[in-house]
Amino acid sequence: MGSNAMAVGLIFDIQHYAVHDGPGIRTLIFFKGCPLACAWCSNPESQACTPELRHDPARCAHCLSCAKICSAVIGDAPGLLRIDRARCGHCESWPCLEACPRGALLKVGQRISVDDVMSRITADKAFYDNSGGGVTFSGGEPFAQPEFLADLLARCRTSGIRAAVETCGYAAMPDIARLEPLIDLFLYDLKIIDPQRHRQWTGRDNAPILENLRFLAGRCAEKIVLRVPLIPGGTDGEANLAAIAEFSRALGLSRVELLAYHALGAGKYEGLGRIYRMPTEDSWHGADQPTQALRIFKAAGLTGTTDATPAAGS
Amino acid sequence: MTPPSEPKAFAPREVRGAPSIPTSAFLKQRYLDAPLMVDIEYIRHLTDSHRHTTGMETLERRAEDHAHALERLTPVIHAQDTLAANKTRFIRGAVPYANYAAGPFLKELRSQEQDAQQKLTEQGTGGGIARTREQAAREGYCVFSGKFLISPQDLEEFSAICAYWETKCLMAEGEKLWKKALPQARFLEDGWAIGLYTAPHEPCPEGRLILDFEMAASRGYASIIEELEGRIASCPPSSADDPRLHFWRAARRALQGGLRFAENYAHEAARQARIERDAARRQELEAMARTCLQVPALPPRNFREAMQSFWFTYLLGHLEGSHLGYSPGRLDQLLYPYYAQDPDLRFDAAVALLEELFVKMTQIEYIASLSWQGLGHGNLYQNLILGGLDGDGRPADNELSLAILQAQINMQMTQPTLSVWYDDSLSQRFLMKAVDCVKTGVGYPAFFNQKTYVRHEQAVSGLPTATILSRAAIGGCTEPVLQGMSYGVVQAGFVNHGKLLDLALNDGVDPMTGVRMFPSRPLTSYEDTEASYIDKMHTAVRTWQQYWNHVMQAHRATVPLIFCSVFVNDCVARGRCMDDGGAILNRTPTTLSSGLVNVANSLAAVRKLCCEDRICSFADLRQAVAQNWRGLDALRRKALDAPKWGNDDDAVDSIFLRLFDEYCRWVEGQVNYLGEPYDPSMLAISTPVPFGKACAAFPDGRLAGEPLADGVTSPFPGTDTHGPTAVIRSSSKVDHSRIRGGLLNLKFHPSALRGENGSRNLLALIKTYFDKPGFHIQFNVVDSDMLRDAQAHPERYRDLVVRVAGFSAYWVEMSRALQDQVIWRTEHGL
Repeated sequence: MGSNAMAVGLIFDIQHYAVHDGPGIRTLIFFKGCPLACAWCSNPESQACTPELRHDPARCAHCLSCAKICSAVIGDAPGLLRIDRARCGHCESWPCLEACPRGALLKVGQRISVDDVMSRITADKAFYDNSGGGVTFSGGEPFAQPEFLADLLARCRTSGIRAAVETCGYAAMPDIARLEPLIDLFLYDLKIIDPQRHRQWTGRDNAPILENLRFLAGRCAEKIVLRVPLIPGGTDGEANLAAIAEFSRALGLSRVELLAYHALGAGKYEGLGRIYRMPTEDSWHGADQPTQALRIFKAAGLTGTTDATPAAGS
Repeated sequence: MTPPSEPKAFAPREVRGAPSIPTSAFLKQRYLDAPLMVDIEYIRHLTDSHRHTTGMETLERRAEDHAHALERLTPVIHAQDTLAANKTRFIRGAVPYANYAAGPFLKELRSQEQDAQQKLTEQGTGGGIARTREQAAREGYCVFSGKFLISPQDLEEFSAICAYWETKCLMAEGEKLWKKALPQARFLEDGWAIGLYTAPHEPCPEGRLILDFEMAASRGYASIIEELEGRIASCPPSSADDPRLHFWRAARRALQGGLRFAENYAHEAARQARIERDAARRQELEAMARTCLQVPALPPRNFREAMQSFWFTYLLGHLEGSHLGYSPGRLDQLLYPYYAQDPDLRFDAAVALLEELFVKMTQIEYIASLSWQGLGHGNLYQNLILGGLDGDGRPADNELSLAILQAQINMQMTQPTLSVWYDDSLSQRFLMKAVDCVKTGVGYPAFFNQKTYVRHEQAVSGLPTATILSRAAIGGCTEPVLQGMSYGVVQAGFVNHGKLLDLALNDGVDPMTGVRMFPSRPLTSYEDTEASYIDKMHTAVRTWQQYWNHVMQAHRATVPLIFCSVFVNDCVARGRCMDDGGAILNRTPTTLSSGLVNVANSLAAVRKLCCEDRICSFADLRQAVAQNWRGLDALRRKALDAPKWGNDDDAVDSIFLRLFDEYCRWVEGQVNYLGEPYDPSMLAISTPVPFGKACAAFPDGRLAGEPLADGVTSPFPGTDTHGPTAVIRSSSKVDHSRIRGGLLNLKFHPSALRGENGSRNLLALIKTYFDKPGFHIQFNVVDSDMLRDAQAHPERYRDLVVRVAGFSAYWVEMSRALQDQVIWRTEHGL
């Protein structure tokens, strides 16, 4: 193994001055491709492991310049644009992007070399150094592109840049074991303990996730921050949260971050020709729900934080 | 006064303050409810005097007129005031300085058509401005200059005053000089008409001035008068025409006028005390009377007297000139010794007194030409700078720095705007408090890198580092000066880089008006375009500077600053006022410009589209711009996708740097009236809006009439796609020590800065920029959706303050165009 050739990966975004995913000022690298398909996913474009076309209706002038170029784009009716997903994404040149005068068609996902990613990461090294920050590999699932991730982590280590990985945990254990020494912080998502319900909501069994977490905790519990999204009806039941808390306590984990539910990704589903099945109200649960949930974890002896916005005026 | 809670849909501002005591709440509300008034009292008395002082030597006459007026101003102490003295008799009052520029007032009085500049510059209409109009309709006042009230009798009298000054004021005298002596006079006038320059600046040329308030307080006027007497007496009788003698006599007269002004307040406070029934208020008034007898004549004995002494000197200097950017400077340093030695003073009491001071500073309004009112949005740019290093290089932040921040967190007044001289060695407690203040959303403090300024000042003035460190302050928006040491009348007008681009692309003709400004010079290539732009910049800058030298000469002849000169070193020792080179630092006249980012973006687009990718010919691109991109969406998208400033992309950044260097080099090639080279500077105030309105579409994809990029190194809204760190990387390629000033706006969503970690990250961002080293950075931390809601429902946002350029303003008193520009800035951190 190892990087004999310069690896190329598929990512869909790079964000600078990210401050919510690990300490300090960070650069976020979003890998494209995820083994899970969580119903609430706020980055639906992160799931497929190939580039895909996104349509932005807000910019679209319905001039159908794109449809004239490619038969996979279909202008059904005035004001409507449909993309035949089965046929789209197989060409090299994406001429439809060029054809659109308004930039309403976007290619999600770019193949990028380790060198190019590294030059984006190292550009902000002074910011990391002054803030205790670094890079966070997120996604999608970084471990779904293990060689690419391995190369990036090795280069970060050489450059003196601390690296965090946000993972859903659904990964090959040897990869995790091999890369763990190069990772300074794991933001480890844990959603549902009950295997049946986990499969329902994410499309996958949670056995590997729990197994990997157990393995990592044995090696480096101090490097793990557990992340639990509070999904209405999905993860936020008291029984589930209590089970997660108990599981974590037993593994000797000490830190948890509860992520409040939001529907910021809802609009992206339409652009990808998909349907968002979750509530579109951001904070339909009571404002104090994250705080309530936090109590469950604190009772189990974990220190927790929540990203929920404090009520106005407080 | 509890702040109203913000609607839930928006990310709340993390820090919300409230006045610390009921009096402060009362003062703030009284301010918010007050209409804007014109007070002609000062100009009435000054004019009366001037009618009778014909034949007097210029400096002595100027001092006599000013002192005559000071002695006659009605001392007004409003309910609950504990700090004596105001600039006018009204809560929100402006002095109309007809002696500076009667023309624009006369134009308004004669209801002449607004000139082209005024059409470009909008003022706000909400808040106190709306109240002004309501009250005018109700109570028979006249509305003057768009937003001020004046009684019909005063208006008539003011009309006569303006007629008196029509041919004698600074503006008229200046015109007599430059219209005759300047070969490019026509170019200048056309330049105003097409928006190449900001409107004539004679209505408000003073400012960027910080007096030596420390010297004023610690010596007291009595001792300075004594020194002046000594100097006058030491002149032999044969030296009757010694210019120094005239200045010293003038200075003595100005100080005497100031003392009388303070005494009048002492008498008024005592009078009110005698008839006051409430015992507590009576005590306050008696204390005020005692204070006004002590200062500014004698040194203060405690913190309150020090504050009152500062306020008297500040106001007396403010009254003398038509100032923009006249500033308190390093108030935490000035007042700290009195704070530390006052055994009876607690932190809370200092905060409360500062709250009152800040209301008083905000109450000062100015009235000038409509264009300048629009450009400044009524803001006086009073800049109070905290922290920094002292003369020995030690961190200078103190308890009072915290008190000042706390007072503005509590009050959120638009004045004074707060700034911080940043240094790594400042205490974390102070820096975190400064970020707390940013998180209120008011947009201040702005952060300035003191080391960058020291490098600039060392290079241009050669003064010792200790002097620069201890006196470094910001006078106005973002222009650093040495307090109590710098000549204060800078050239505050702006050159519009965007218009120069228009002219370069259109063969010397302004595409918006058809006015030919330059002889024809056909362009064929990218290199031609850049060279043509630079040629035009040369002419525009040089004309502007030479015009201003004539104005400075007229300033010496009509409105030299005497009172202010006493408190600028070393005018008294040299026996020369500032207008005669009495100040130690005479390199403050700057040449200002804005809009360079759009020029760099446009030149980069020309190169990318026409030379590298060959998507279109140069002629096609010029045609596209001429038709405002109409029907050319696809080409415009290519233009928008071309490299843009603010993304750390050398393809465009290198162009910006080249133009920036050339601008600096060229500006320094002209000496000012005092014989020193002009100092290059760039800032923005609200110029991006009127400048953009005057400009055609640009090759960078910008549409005709859209505002230009704000600040100096701020990206064009929406084009900085690589986040704030890339903006900083671009901006830090600029050698900021070359210019006196510089401005970078960043806008953050409140969520990006939340909590203690959010504050620490912001400080790390500032440190990283300043390590590079940058010069200035400031932040808007307000949810854009909330600002849109505030446009729709202004009544719910009466006290919302946002950062514009070098200043903060009440949202509801800003013009719609300026509001749009603030919303439009790219918001980071969603």
